[in-house]
Amino acid sequence: MRTSIITAEEREKAFAPTKKPQVIENQKLDVRYHVEDYDVQDRPRRFLEAFAAILKHTNYRFALEHFIRISTKCSRCAVQCPVYQATGDKRDIPCYRSELLLSVYRRHFTVAGAMRARLLGNGQLTDEKIEEMAESFWNCTACRRCTLECPSGIDHALITHLGRFILAEIGIAPRALVVSTREQLEGKTGNTSAIPVPALMDTLEFLQEEMEEDKGIKIDFPLDVEGAEYLFTPAVSDFLMEAETLMGIAAVFKATGGSWTISTENYDAINYGLFYSDRMLERIIRKLYAESERLNTSNILIGECGHASRSAKYYVPVHCGGDKAKPVLNIMEYTLKMIQTGKLVLKPDTITERVTYHDPCNIARQGWIVDQPREIIRTFCKDFVEMTPRRTENICCGGGGGTVSIDEIRPYRTRVGGKAKADQIRATGAKYLIAPCANCKKQLRELVEDQGIDCEVVGLHDLIYKAIDFEASYAGISATKEKG
Amino acid sequence: MFRLTFIILVLGLIRILALDIWGAVLAYRRAGDKNLAWGTAIKNTLQWIFPTKRIFTRRPIYSLFSILFHVGLILVPIFLLAHVQLWKSGTGLSWWTLPHIWADILTLTTIGFAIALLLGRTFDKGARFLSRKQDYVWPVLLIIPFVTGYLCSNVELGPGTYQVLMLIHILAAELIFVLIPFTKIAHCVLMPLSQFVLALAWKFPARVDEKICTTLNKKGAPV
Repeated sequence: MRTSIITAEEREKAFAPTKKPQVIENQKLDVRYHVEDYDVQDRPRRFLEAFAAILKHTNYRFALEHFIRISTKCSRCAVQCPVYQATGDKRDIPCYRSELLLSVYRRHFTVAGAMRARLLGNGQLTDEKIEEMAESFWNCTACRRCTLECPSGIDHALITHLGRFILAEIGIAPRALVVSTREQLEGKTGNTSAIPVPALMDTLEFLQEEMEEDKGIKIDFPLDVEGAEYLFTPAVSDFLMEAETLMGIAAVFKATGGSWTISTENYDAINYGLFYSDRMLERIIRKLYAESERLNTSNILIGECGHASRSAKYYVPVHCGGDKAKPVLNIMEYTLKMIQTGKLVLKPDTITERVTYHDPCNIARQGWIVDQPREIIRTFCKDFVEMTPRRTENICCGGGGGTVSIDEIRPYRTRVGGKAKADQIRATGAKYLIAPCANCKKQLRELVEDQGIDCEVVGLHDLIYKAIDFEASYAGISATKEKG
Repeated sequence: MFRLTFIILVLGLIRILALDIWGAVLAYRRAGDKNLAWGTAIKNTLQWIFPTKRIFTRRPIYSLFSILFHVGLILVPIFLLAHVQLWKSGTGLSWWTLPHIWADILTLTTIGFAIALLLGRTFDKGARFLSRKQDYVWPVLLIIPFVTGYLCSNVELGPGTYQVLMLIHILAAELIFVLIPFTKIAHCVLMPLSQFVLALAWKFPARVDEKICTTLNKKGAPV
């Protein structure tokens, strides 16, 4: 992957200040994202205390030990980082970003580092260094491409993840994420978009009417059905912004006769904890799981959302009983399975315009969801073109790692973070860009707007909605029943 | 002297290997989810130890140089006839040896590619920015035994100071032995573990929220 370095003019826009100097002064923090007021006294000491507490109770230590011994500083990761490729700023090289935290670890948590400091008398953690970390860790979109390219196997994304966690413990985290998480865990509405239940009901009712008008049949959103097979939880923002995706999913369930339900107690799978705090990650996962227990569903099904899918898939087992935990699926797995078993039929060539597919990092990087969407797309899209690189080596939309929810850094996201992606989209000449992730969709819409690309960003189920052949699907179901 | 430094090398490497594995075992025990992607980790490990296809998709010249550098660096010291003979006279053990001509070629490529990599590090702005002192010292230090060794085994080239060259050769090698376990060259034993560390590191222990809150006096604090 190569993208050109942004022009001076673009740089000025991307890095334009977002805060009043007074705020920066008060918070002692010159970063572009907003931070809630926090205790600025004694930051280095509190940072180290938080670091120590986290090391004590988590698994990070062995990985850090491995990384500090093995790092050879070869700089191969630089070629994989979309951010560095766009800024050309050496401080954006993943290995440098990691070294910020590794050097603190070496100095304060290893014997050799402490001895070295005694002899040479330096290396104390300073306020400046904390500020540099606060800036650097949030310039990263947590796409994990650098990890693919490190011959030594250093996971820079893990280090950034840990760095953000420690910073959050001393009060430095993007306000947008903290406020949303607070509403989700402690607020009245219990979700990150603060949508109250009556508003949810209204929306769903409206969508049902809409679908009845479109398709001439009644398509439901079953609420709080105990014992359903699937507890369906999307990113809550879908209820506001991705109506068509939800309609597509409801239509798939209608056509396939699936047993599913949406909970009115918890209808939000967003997990910002994955981006800034393992503690929040754990709380949100437990909340999600508790709901599936309450409704006694057999599976947890996450909607079109990359990070929500990843956090549920990989952290439900961690926090809710390992092997015994209920399976977590992404909606695309369900849809493909239905197509393969003949229970869902999509009309071939429904979409004649050129279509391309964006792999969301959180579900594609580990190779989990890469083939499923492509197989689905091929059944009903006539002109499907691929981007390069793709699949497990895909390029981030530029809003990963929670940065998409930080509205004040939009110029940075669309000019720096998403630059490589914009080049890729342009090269395909596609009319529809399919991005099955709430996070990517928001970012990509802003990206095509700011970069002036003529392309419509849609979810996969938005298009499936147009292609479902209900009669053939029903016939398929009865055929499988007869066989069974 | 050789024995001492060699023992330091071996014990040092065993120590870091043992610490690394022990750390991983403890982490695995604490992990809330013990399903590791073993297959992927093994596949990735093999792909990085024997980089054939994947590595050339980006920075192909650098990658090729780096691989060829490592080939000579690993093969020559272990399989050189003169070294094996020394082992045989000392311990009675012996093994396959490199033909003389290949030993010479690999020695020269290692020297050449080490210099090329060092220049690359010096002139690539990204690499230069990341580099520490040891990153510049290591290639230079590694070249010394190869240059002196080459001159010693091809006496007709040497300026007739075999004894001095051999002394430098041995001392440099001993210095390298002692430094390996304590510097980045530790990757010679740790690298095969990396992909497993990487897979395991994302498997967090279950239920740490409360413990961390207690340690940091944050119990009941708002989000």
